Amino acid sequence: MLRRYRWLTPYLFLLPGGMWLLVFFVAPLIVMASVSLQTGSLGQGYAMTWNFGVYPEMISQYSGFFIRSVIYALIVTALCLLLGYPLAYTIAFRGGRAKSILLLLVILPFFTSFIIRTLAWKLILADNGFVLGTLKEIGILDSGFRVLATPISVISGLTYNFLPFMVLPLYVSLEKIDPRLVEAANDLYASRWQAFRRVTLPLSMAGVFAGSLLVFIPAVGDFVNATILGSPQTQMIGNVIQRLFLNTNAYPEASALGFLMMAAILVIILAYARIVGSEELTAG
Amino acid sequence: MSEEERSNLERAIARAFQPRRRMSRRAFFRQAGKGGVYAAGALSLPAILAACGIGGQSSAPSAAPSLGSEPAGTLDWANWPAYIDIDEDTGDYPTIKAFEDETGITVNYTEAINDNEEFFGIIQPDLAAGRSTGYDLIVLTDWMIERLIRLGYLEALDKSKLTNWSANAQELYADPWYDPGNTYTTAYQSGITGIGYNPTLTGRAITTFDDLLDPAFAGRVGMFSEMRDTMSLTLLSLGIKPEDATVDDAKKAQEKLLPLARNGQFRNFYGNDYYDALAAGDLALTVAWSGDVSQMKLYDNSDVEFVVPASGGMLWVDNMAIPKGAAHPLDAHMMMDYWYRVDSQVALEEYVGYFSPVKGVAEQIKADAEQARADGDTEWADALDVISATAFPDNDTLSNVYTYKKLTEDEERQWNDLFNEVVQGG
Repeated sequence: MLRRYRWLTPYLFLLPGGMWLLVFFVAPLIVMASVSLQTGSLGQGYAMTWNFGVYPEMISQYSGFFIRSVIYALIVTALCLLLGYPLAYTIAFRGGRAKSILLLLVILPFFTSFIIRTLAWKLILADNGFVLGTLKEIGILDSGFRVLATPISVISGLTYNFLPFMVLPLYVSLEKIDPRLVEAANDLYASRWQAFRRVTLPLSMAGVFAGSLLVFIPAVGDFVNATILGSPQTQMIGNVIQRLFLNTNAYPEASALGFLMMAAILVIILAYARIVGSEELTAG
Repeated sequence: MSEEERSNLERAIARAFQPRRRMSRRAFFRQAGKGGVYAAGALSLPAILAACGIGGQSSAPSAAPSLGSEPAGTLDWANWPAYIDIDEDTGDYPTIKAFEDETGITVNYTEAINDNEEFFGIIQPDLAAGRSTGYDLIVLTDWMIERLIRLGYLEALDKSKLTNWSANAQELYADPWYDPGNTYTTAYQSGITGIGYNPTLTGRAITTFDDLLDPAFAGRVGMFSEMRDTMSLTLLSLGIKPEDATVDDAKKAQEKLLPLARNGQFRNFYGNDYYDALAAGDLALTVAWSGDVSQMKLYDNSDVEFVVPASGGMLWVDNMAIPKGAAHPLDAHMMMDYWYRVDSQVALEEYVGYFSPVKGVAEQIKADAEQARADGDTEWADALDVISATAFPDNDTLSNVYTYKKLTEDEERQWNDLFNEVVQGG
């Protein structure tokens, strides 16, 4: 009797998560789409006027911030990859018994709030704080030297905050690689570099791909690092959206920028997926 | 981590992330929640999109409810962070506790207000729909009060319930520009927007607004992300009274700031978090609020100084008001009047250190200082001396402070657009 309805099972499993997404992802998205096309003010109320003109207007007004955000996020992703790959590789292949402790250390920063960690860097790197103040006093640095309020501090902050998101997927994909494959490559006269290049790296591409996405996407939209560690010259698109929503109550403009950011990220990711080869995602 | 270090860190975090002028997505999510309900019932995408309008000004202003003679026994009060006396050990609010014991009213005190615009965004949908906001008492800055009155969002006050206010309010805060006759509001605290600086870092005394633009301080100057304060101070430096400024004047102010903003003259545009940057020495000089600098001098950095720029500073007043549809208006009146008693106001003042709107407070704090000195608590006595000196502005200061312009919505949008360009640094 029940067997007749067995085909329903997968849909039943989809239901809770699907409903969750519908309520907390799709619905806000629809509201944002609606708000972006309205005109008015908070005092007088907003009314739907199908004002599509807001999109080209926002592009021309804020393209500089989009470009800066994407450049910062690309640099951050590259840095995370450069720092994260050797780390994940070492933990996966040379970690031995310390593996779980090393992994715990990677996750450890998450035990504290993202904001507190970023604020801590602001205190550490203060112009006359412990580090720079000391270096200035012994004459190594010029008294006007600073790290905060520069692109370097914002990019470093982003890299620091998102590094674990790169390391974890890399570790997972590297850990799965059968070491006998590398041994086989060596037996077939591949050098260590060739074995890495032809065997290990291709097999870990799923991790590279996933890690890059997990770093790049939040980094583009981040405004915390630019707020705390940056200056007016390092503002990212997230800062603009945040200011338009909360300081100027310009909801339509802010919503439109939010959509444009989503679109920009989507385009970049699709391009990236083509280059890296999205079959790597399913290969794992 | 020591107790003191921890409380310093907590304060730094509170300032950076509960700044007066920023950060919460509540306003947005509230709207989003409503949209979800519409979306579930609607069919086509355009219909869904069109259904998500955001309401404006209330169409049916309701008559003021009678206050009755008995308080309801509950008061929901929204205030700014760190804007009331706190018992550092227990985390209680001693003055509120005294009020509760005296009246039997339970006070739900929340630090719900981080930013005038943001809080407006939160309460506006309810006010526009003629619903209660859930608050009986709110504290907002004068220019925002002006807007709320214009939109009909506040309850008129019953002066017969405000006997302490009638007896003790300073003339300076009576009949203000934003609320003629105090029909809707009474002052909570007040202060001046001017310049805070660290003489050891500037190497000289700072006297004018243009000192903020001196290339010698490039990258070590703080500005406010708050549009009205920054634009008004700039207008004053151009010899224009902010209250009379036109959009053309605002454009001139923008043109004065824009090239400097692009050249990195300003380290950042700050909310409350300018406090830590100045205290830590990251900023040599910055736009600042008077009460903050006197607190900083006492507790965080004894070097700093506050100055009203030669061209003038801005006098602002934060006010208590009752939003339309408040459930417990009599209780709110009682709390308002409670702050106009000298004893409760002194307790508040000795903690927050801005200008007090109540007569006799400075004298009482001075007396407390003498008492503390007699008791051998010199440190506290010195602190109280500083506070009593700043509890009320002197005539010199008052002769050189100005008030904000009443901006129409259209003007406000134009000023915001001009100012946003500066903040974004090109």
